[in-house]
Amino acid sequence: MANAFVAAFEILSFGAIIVLIVLGLGIIASMMGIFNFAQGEFVLLGAYITYLAYAKGLPIWAGMAAAPFVVGALGFVLEALIIRRFYAAPIVAMLGTYALGLIIREAVRGLIGGFYLTVPEPIGGSIDFGTVHISAWRFTIILITLLVMAGCYLLLSRTNFGLRMRATLENPSLARASGISTPLMYGATFAFGSALAGLAGALIVPVFSLYADLGLRFLIQGFVAVMVGGVGSFIGPVAGAGVIGTLSAALPWVMAPVVADVLVFVLAIVFIKFRPQGLIAGKGV
Amino acid sequence: MLKPMSVVRQAVVADAGDEAGGAMAEGAGAERSSGRKILPIVDGVVLLAALLAPLVLQDYLTVFATRVLILALFALSFDLVWGYAGIMSFGQALFFGSAGYGVALLARDLDITNIFLVLPAGTLIGLTFALLLGGFLLLGRHPSSVIFVSLGTLTGSYAADRLARGWYYLGGQNGIPSIAPMSLGSYDFTEGPAFYYLVLGILVVVYLLCRFLVRSQFGLALAGLRENEQRIAFFGYKAQHLKAIIFTIGGAVAGLAGSLYAFHEGFVWPNMVGVVVSTQVVLYVLFGGSGTLIGAVIGAVIVEGVSFWLSDNYRDIWPIILGLLLLLVILFRPLGLISFVLGERERVGSFGAKPKENVKEKRNAP
Repeated sequence: MANAFVAAFEILSFGAIIVLIVLGLGIIASMMGIFNFAQGEFVLLGAYITYLAYAKGLPIWAGMAAAPFVVGALGFVLEALIIRRFYAAPIVAMLGTYALGLIIREAVRGLIGGFYLTVPEPIGGSIDFGTVHISAWRFTIILITLLVMAGCYLLLSRTNFGLRMRATLENPSLARASGISTPLMYGATFAFGSALAGLAGALIVPVFSLYADLGLRFLIQGFVAVMVGGVGSFIGPVAGAGVIGTLSAALPWVMAPVVADVLVFVLAIVFIKFRPQGLIAGKGV
Repeated sequence: MLKPMSVVRQAVVADAGDEAGGAMAEGAGAERSSGRKILPIVDGVVLLAALLAPLVLQDYLTVFATRVLILALFALSFDLVWGYAGIMSFGQALFFGSAGYGVALLARDLDITNIFLVLPAGTLIGLTFALLLGGFLLLGRHPSSVIFVSLGTLTGSYAADRLARGWYYLGGQNGIPSIAPMSLGSYDFTEGPAFYYLVLGILVVVYLLCRFLVRSQFGLALAGLRENEQRIAFFGYKAQHLKAIIFTIGGAVAGLAGSLYAFHEGFVWPNMVGVVVSTQVVLYVLFGGSGTLIGAVIGAVIVEGVSFWLSDNYRDIWPIILGLLLLLVILFRPLGLISFVLGERERVGSFGAKPKENVKEKRNAP
């Protein structure tokens, strides 16, 4: 019984991590129609900023708080300089953002070398339920994921900013005619998606350590989750991430890890083939 | 993706039959025939350089050049599917690597190294995998989106990588080392000039076959497909079938390259089926120029050659430079380096007279 509880918690926390990483990816894919191959590197940057703060002797919390802002600002600049040119063609956008990701990843690799750098958990120890101990930090990640999800949902559905964002997505020329600065909205959307990736990186670095391929590790999983969930809504990618994250954490408990790994991807591809609109089809939030 | 009335007009209206069209063209338009001579010149220069290379290179560089030629063959396979049919096969290494693993197993477990058995076997493995994956992704009632196909192939390659890493029979992380050399009777193909010329011969033959293919009516339909799929479908072509066919042919070529690579290096390892090699081949073709065949070869030679020189001295920053160059090429030279010397019309492979002259109707009239 205790084992089952621990297993369920492990699965849940891994699902939450995938959701956290996919949130930004999904928002950029849904709102802008761009599959951002540099998203993994934004996660990496968020992790790296947290590590830097820690290495300089600042509190880890400070690094984690700064990460989304720094990465978001970088996203805004990159959108204005480079990403903007790719909107016409999705494949070119894929290749362009891949090149961008390559540059960032290799730059970080140059800075940290081939090492695994570790950052301690800001909330150490475990939460005890009788004889069962679960990691306090993983528990915090689940909580923060829920908060961030709720925050994103409210931002997109209840605020003026979210309204403008969705208007730009639905009909850019009409939005422009209504006085919305669509280039600014695209920039803001991309920056927002990047900031979420930065936050994800900051939160998961105590769990996964820091290494150059950290972002790459989650990228394909993230894309598959977005496709399974369905592009075009906020809730779709989140649902997809929940399903993919939970499956890839749960299956290794019942079968060989290798088989589980491959099975998740095969299932996902077959699912997308026969339901291209994803779990949750839709436009808008 | 839609570019109405762009290049497809030339590609589709232009006539079939390479040489016949060429002969026609001599009289039809001087400005075109001057433009059409560039590609054969580029082909010739590259071939000459490749023939002479082992004579001037040191031994260890000949070995390196052999590897580059094999990768050029692999790049050719990607150019067929991306440059001609517009299928973003982000997992081309799946066919390359699975063929490599296949022939490695043949050599390790069955002692089969005969060149006339292993190369066809590798080609067949690539072809079969591509047929299965391509058939699944491209055929069916609902045509898949470009993004789905690219992510589907990428995911396939990633899954194969994970499988190879975790499967003890395939050697896990370490792959399969010390593969016996490829043999012809009692002769062993070890690294060196003989292997180099073998690969060069295969590359030239495959290149000519591909050239013939893309300059045929089939290739024209493909080029049209890349430029405007809806219009080609409207003309009555089964667009998805054409795509699946070229995808399978591409897989076969990748399989041939993979089996050569396995024997040349003497070992196979998980990266060979994975995302790293998959994206590497995309780099080659983007750099060289997609949709030209020779551009893929040139791209492989340039990327690998420059990597080789720079990675010694600038090991840390070379990948960053590579990324920057790639970004610049995508932004400013989307058709690759070869577009500096090669015009759009020649690249697309349109021939016969220009559409407005309407020579086609006259010639085909009974």
